[in-house]
Amino acid sequence: MMEFYLFGMTSVFYAIATGFALFYLYSRHERWSRWMLYFLGAGVCLHLPSFAFRLQEFWSVPANRYYVPINSFYGALSYLALVVALTFFVVEARHRLGILGAFVLPWACLASLSAVFRACHVGNTEIYQLTPALRSYWINIHPMMLMTAYAILGNAFGVGLAFLVQENQVKSRRPTELCYRLPAIADLEDLNYHLVVFAFPILVFGILVGGIWAYGAWGRFWGWDAKEIWALVTALVYGGYLVARAAAGWRGVKAVYISMLGFGCAVFTFVGVNFLSELHGYLSKKG
Amino acid sequence: MELLLVGLNHRSVSVSQREGLAALGTDEWLRRLRSAGWQEAVVVSTCNRFEVYAGSADLRSRGPEVLEEFLESNLGAPLGDGVYRRVGGAAARRLFTVAAGLDSLVVGESEILGQVKQAYETARSHKMTGKLTNVLFQRALYAGKLVRSRTGIGSGRLSVASAAVALAERIFGNLSKSSVLILGAGKMAELSAKHLLSGKVSRLYLANRTWTRAVELAAKFRAEAIRWEDFPPLLSRVDIVISSTGAPKPIMTAEGIAAACRSRRGRSLFLIDIAMPRDIEESVHALDHVYLYTLQDLDGIVAENSARRRGEVAAARALVDEKSAEFQAWIAAVANGERAGLTHSMRGRASSATEPSRLPVTS
Repeated sequence: MMEFYLFGMTSVFYAIATGFALFYLYSRHERWSRWMLYFLGAGVCLHLPSFAFRLQEFWSVPANRYYVPINSFYGALSYLALVVALTFFVVEARHRLGILGAFVLPWACLASLSAVFRACHVGNTEIYQLTPALRSYWINIHPMMLMTAYAILGNAFGVGLAFLVQENQVKSRRPTELCYRLPAIADLEDLNYHLVVFAFPILVFGILVGGIWAYGAWGRFWGWDAKEIWALVTALVYGGYLVARAAAGWRGVKAVYISMLGFGCAVFTFVGVNFLSELHGYLSKKG
Repeated sequence: MELLLVGLNHRSVSVSQREGLAALGTDEWLRRLRSAGWQEAVVVSTCNRFEVYAGSADLRSRGPEVLEEFLESNLGAPLGDGVYRRVGGAAARRLFTVAAGLDSLVVGESEILGQVKQAYETARSHKMTGKLTNVLFQRALYAGKLVRSRTGIGSGRLSVASAAVALAERIFGNLSKSSVLILGAGKMAELSAKHLLSGKVSRLYLANRTWTRAVELAAKFRAEAIRWEDFPPLLSRVDIVISSTGAPKPIMTAEGIAAACRSRRGRSLFLIDIAMPRDIEESVHALDHVYLYTLQDLDGIVAENSARRRGEVAAARALVDEKSAEFQAWIAAVANGERAGLTHSMRGRASSATEPSRLPVTS
């Protein structure tokens, strides 16, 4: 229960940070950007002990011991929010791009609030005994890698949104004040690219590791399960983006649209597919 | 110790009247003020004003009239009706207003902040500052910076050339890797070239129909002269094009630019057309990665910026009033022998203003 109280507060803090980030778009006062970082930092500081409490509770079931509890939807969303917030801190706050908070933090906020909603809906924080198939050290690697990749790709998506806004500002020929506060078109595009470049190998290895785990657990590497198919589609879209940019020299709006489509696929793989998949069903309870 | 001010500015007198005062030089004025027995004095001498801020231990023997007489006797001529004298809080408020750019011809311009800082540092090097002037100038510089960060008084470029450069920075970020092609030789092209040249871009090319004119201008801007027939291939390499030729028909068509873009691998191209009639076809703007701005667009941006600045004057004045009132309260507290400090930080961090060495004076 302690976990959920702390996590609830974390979510509120993320939501407030997001509020400040959005407000900072309209007010040129640095104060709002600072408050955004304070609340985000406080959120992360509550999130970590919340996760520690979760571990403690999860490990109180002997069969679960030393496995990371991100097998459930709640656990995965919570971890996702944490990595989005941390990536924002490391990348955007370090480069003093606080203005990007308005484009990135809504995803951390959405993930954590969805987790809270999920917990309220199900009535608990989804601490179950792991099924025998899941009791493997791969559970500490496969979901974690994918969630990390998704979180970084979420950041890239936010940066992509900021890029589209900025591109539109310059193209409109009537730039507003926002234009002079957002980073340059070229810089946003580069940041979007670098985030994808960083996340892509994690995504691909995460999927491969899943295959290895599947081979150990179910005796086959690849089974065209809905989740597997969509994960492949996601990887292909991002791969296509990287190839188009590096080899074919695609730049600008079209390239950014592809990377954003990739994030759409990632979200569908994470959420939507759960209703279709037999083996990865957090939501459908089929898995 | 009471604060005094005697000064003349662009509103009160003509340039020629101020010239005599400025001609003597700040250093010489400070030396003469010292020999006349003034212990604390700072001379703010800029193109638009000549002001002396001084500390006086006794207003009866050393009041503003005495300071004015001192200036007149050293100038050898009367200062005239345009001179203004202020004492105490009014003098402080005046300096805060100057530092905020509210007294400048171009409202909110930021050069004045550097000039005030320079005036203060010169006085310090002459050991002509004390507790009063130290805190006064540190506070004025702080208020000047605060006004510019909290209000929009200093935001937005006010000339077509600088607005174009600001836009280029919104497209390419740091311009140090960008190259620029200037076509023709209009006044506006020269101005933009000057702005871009302040150490910003990596290469500057200049093409003109008359080769000798191109060479002449290229030398002036440290640019590379290009023969007129050689400019189209350059369009696939440069990032920014400023065009101001007298051509009767567009010299850059949508097909031409589209062809150039094919070998640009998606890099953005910023076209600035300041010619009349236009040099670049309007349909070029519809191409991906191409941003075409005309003189009319840039004029619109400048007009909007100056309107926004005017709209921020009231907010800036309120902030100046608030900060000068704080300073006056500090003076009063010190006069009563109380311990007093001023919050002196853009980030809300408190530090004592009574120790000038600890205060950031950088602008």
